[in-house]
Amino acid sequence: MSVALREGAAEDVRAAADRMAVFLSRFIRDGELVFHGVASPLPMAAVVMARNTHAPNLTYLNIPGGVDPKPSHLPGSTVARQLMEGALSYFTLTEIFDLSARGKLDLAFLGGAQIDARGDMNLSFIGDPASPKVRLPGGAGSAHILPTAGRTVLWRTVHDARSFPERCDFVTASGNVEAVVTPLCIFKKAEGRLRVKSIHQGVTADALRAATGFDLGDLEQTPTTPEPTDAERVALHAADPEGVRQREFI
Amino acid sequence: MSGKIMSLTQAAALVQDGDMLALGGNALTRIPAAFVRELARQGRKDMRLVKTAGAYDVDLLCAAGAVAQTQTGYVGFENLFGLAPSYRLSVEEGRVQAVEHACSTVIAGLRASAYGLPSQPVAGLEGSDVAALTGFRQVKDPYTGESTYMVPRIRPRFAVLHVTYADAEGNARIDGGAFEDVLMSRAAESVILTAERIEETAFFVEKPDRTAVPAFMVQAVVHAPGGARPGGCHPFYDIDEDAVGAYLDSASGAESLRAHLDAWEERDHAGSAAASGSVV
Repeated sequence: MSVALREGAAEDVRAAADRMAVFLSRFIRDGELVFHGVASPLPMAAVVMARNTHAPNLTYLNIPGGVDPKPSHLPGSTVARQLMEGALSYFTLTEIFDLSARGKLDLAFLGGAQIDARGDMNLSFIGDPASPKVRLPGGAGSAHILPTAGRTVLWRTVHDARSFPERCDFVTASGNVEAVVTPLCIFKKAEGRLRVKSIHQGVTADALRAATGFDLGDLEQTPTTPEPTDAERVALHAADPEGVRQREFI
Repeated sequence: MSGKIMSLTQAAALVQDGDMLALGGNALTRIPAAFVRELARQGRKDMRLVKTAGAYDVDLLCAAGAVAQTQTGYVGFENLFGLAPSYRLSVEEGRVQAVEHACSTVIAGLRASAYGLPSQPVAGLEGSDVAALTGFRQVKDPYTGESTYMVPRIRPRFAVLHVTYADAEGNARIDGGAFEDVLMSRAAESVILTAERIEETAFFVEKPDRTAVPAFMVQAVVHAPGGARPGGCHPFYDIDEDAVGAYLDSASGAESLRAHLDAWEERDHAGSAAASGSVV
């Protein structure tokens, strides 16, 4: 995805990246085992910042296998060697899948190219799998993690009707989705369907409806997502001073 | 030098058209980049590639027309550069069969082979279309009656691993994340190593528990300093984003891909040339 650099766009990206990282971090409960995978700068920033806000006792797991690393800086690739720095032990991806299968992984963050009204996600194909219009990267660990982890939180940095359809072209993964964080809102999964939990400040209900490919129901009483607090902003900028989280938008 | 040390040219020539290769490393970290460039230079065809998360290695072989099939959980350049263009185009145009996997089902298939079994039960996949598309079948556990998906054995001809340290016999140590490399070495029929450093055997005797791959599994050892570039390799170098970007600019055409392979050729062979005492 490329973003045309119109006036103010860089500012928009910064604000959206900060919000999404902070909103993702709020789903982490103190003391949890938390995992993110490949291509995941926003969750990486969210996990590292949460250690300095409300979840100092979380345990951070990742694909390189460093348990609770203290990276010197956040890498653009979220499987890079910095995610081993400062780790005291080593727990491989294979072992993380097994951990999740045993029901011991508390929370995982996973991205989708499409996320549908049921909270299912697609990272495999646009169009017919036999002759795809777009061959997407593939879902990495998501088909395993979504049904086995205690909770999963999905995110996508583009919120439009194609990204949020009634039904995905292909279901790469389905399962224990707690919530979905987007640049416009937070969805919560309830009774098998995504409902709008809160709408971000400055986003109208009409704009959210127009950008979503499935019915959102009544949004009259939907609250506004609390903006990042000063403490959250400070922790985020300390965790990711170089703004690696913004790379998901360009 | 003695033992199993050979040149990059000789090691790549062990691979035959149609072989299945498990490629070590993950995304852009500790990938056998010099080795796959040499496979492309030698014009290898119909490779079947196995990897949890691929990037440059899988994409370059697709760009070179060297691939018939991939079994992967992910192929892409993450948020650095997005989709893998040659992989994507090769699949969309039907030249490459992309067998859809989760990373965990690639691992399960490799485990079946490593464990000497025809297939391997795997957790998860409920609600996903991947199982039906790829043809993973469910069985009932004979003791509890629980249903589980079974992944057929994946037995690569070679695991091709770029390791940090090896000796001439093929003992290998991996510093930093080992990803699925150790499992790949057990699942494959044989192992080809490229190594940043060639060490004396005493280096391994000191800490045998750190030897990830024992020599008896290994067929070839290539001294390839910088062999993961443009990817990164702990503790020696980071991902070179400019060089990855230059690859992506060149991968769109046969001529520019040839120029990319030519540009790397001397560096790729420098380690094995030095080891054999020849001049590049």
